[in-house]
Amino acid sequence: MHIAEGFLPAPHAIGWTVVAAPFVVHGARAVVKEVREHPESTLLLGAAGAFTFVLSAIKLPSVTGSSSHPTGTGAGAVLFRPPVMALLGTVVLLFQALLLAHGGLTTLGANAVAFAVVGPWAGYGAYRLARALGAGLLPGVFVALALADLATYVTTSLQLALAFPDAAGGFAGAAVKFLGVFAVTQVPLAVGEGLLGVLLFRVLTVNARPELERLGVLRPAATSGDVR
Amino acid sequence: MTGLAVDDAAWASAWRTRSPVDKLVLCAGLVVCALVLPVWPGGVLVALAAVVLALGPARVPARTFGRAARWPLAFVAVGALTAVVSVDGGLGWAPDAAARAGELVGHSVAGGAAVLLLATTTPMTDLLAALRRLGVPAAVVEVAGVTYRLLFVLLQSLTTIREAQTARMGHSTWRRSYRSSGTLAAAVFTRSFDRARRLQEGLAGRGMETGLRVLPESLPSSRGFLAATAAGLAALVTVGVLA
Repeated sequence: MHIAEGFLPAPHAIGWTVVAAPFVVHGARAVVKEVREHPESTLLLGAAGAFTFVLSAIKLPSVTGSSSHPTGTGAGAVLFRPPVMALLGTVVLLFQALLLAHGGLTTLGANAVAFAVVGPWAGYGAYRLARALGAGLLPGVFVALALADLATYVTTSLQLALAFPDAAGGFAGAAVKFLGVFAVTQVPLAVGEGLLGVLLFRVLTVNARPELERLGVLRPAATSGDVR
Repeated sequence: MTGLAVDDAAWASAWRTRSPVDKLVLCAGLVVCALVLPVWPGGVLVALAAVVLALGPARVPARTFGRAARWPLAFVAVGALTAVVSVDGGLGWAPDAAARAGELVGHSVAGGAAVLLLATTTPMTDLLAALRRLGVPAAVVEVAGVTYRLLFVLLQSLTTIREAQTARMGHSTWRRSYRSSGTLAAAVFTRSFDRARRLQEGLAGRGMETGLRVLPESLPSSRGFLAATAAGLAALVTVGVLA
């Protein structure tokens, strides 16, 4: 769930836009460079953006009763790396704001920080760490997607707590409230997204091996069928 | 979920042929007013203006507009409630909770309506062209353009595959539903790559070297519209500040 248009006071909206800007500009530079060197990447990157958008439209059955949607940025971070995801995630947020009325324009910066920067980096960091510690691809993907999902909502909660400190408890009190409403309820969904990622990558390692090798997720040398 | 209702409304809107820059100026003005003017009467007037303009001259179906507002309203309701609940020694209302909640809801509804006015009158392709003119790099606008055009193909695949899975009991239990969703996501991934590769091959065969060039549609800016926008926004600000 993204922060709706008009929900954040103006100074916060501007502040978060300033925070998001360098990451998005860095992502844009990476994309411009990639497209200059390989013009055909335009279509591939566009496909990656569309995939991220569509992934967030898949409904997952959830423990809390209602169906919920994955964020999709964890998978994107593993497949396309966080700098590119900063840009693609922001484009997806813009589309969600204008095509689905999820999120908003003045809150685009704050949502980009949570959804396109913190989520992908947290997920990718966890993925690299897990792989460095000797975990296989699938456990790495699980922690990446679960953590990216959770980190996104923790960030959103903290952004809201910062904007609306509790009358008595201040920032900490407000953080407890918002984390309780937006992040704790998200834990089962984060686990669900991690599981979805495992199922997704298990199919991809069999059916889309060349694509994963091209993206550098799998080493070309590995023998086919080796899920690790 | 097949087509996107807001997108359909944008293409069918009576304001479709207006310059995207004109509409951007109007909606950005309304969004800023919604954010900085006090809710009463400024915010309320912004919301009214956006809804009246959308349903009146822009002829956006009221049903589409109302349905699109449901999701953000759910967030606003939960968020505003959480903001005004106090956890100081047990749950309770913060001082002047009703006023603060009203203010939050007012700003969000006014801002949301202004963004929705833009979303339901301006197709994404027009907005992307406007972004290009505002200095966003061509490569970024092209990637966003491909994303937009592939969205509908992939959403269609998503619906079709899901329907097929459901018909084969693929979503009858939780376990199967997760399995099916994983396969579904994988199918969408391979399809998106396949589409991109085939588009690329087709374009390369037609001599694509730099950029995806399309003939820009000429949507001239209207002086009358801009003048009315300026007058309306000025009136809003005056009423909002003085009242």
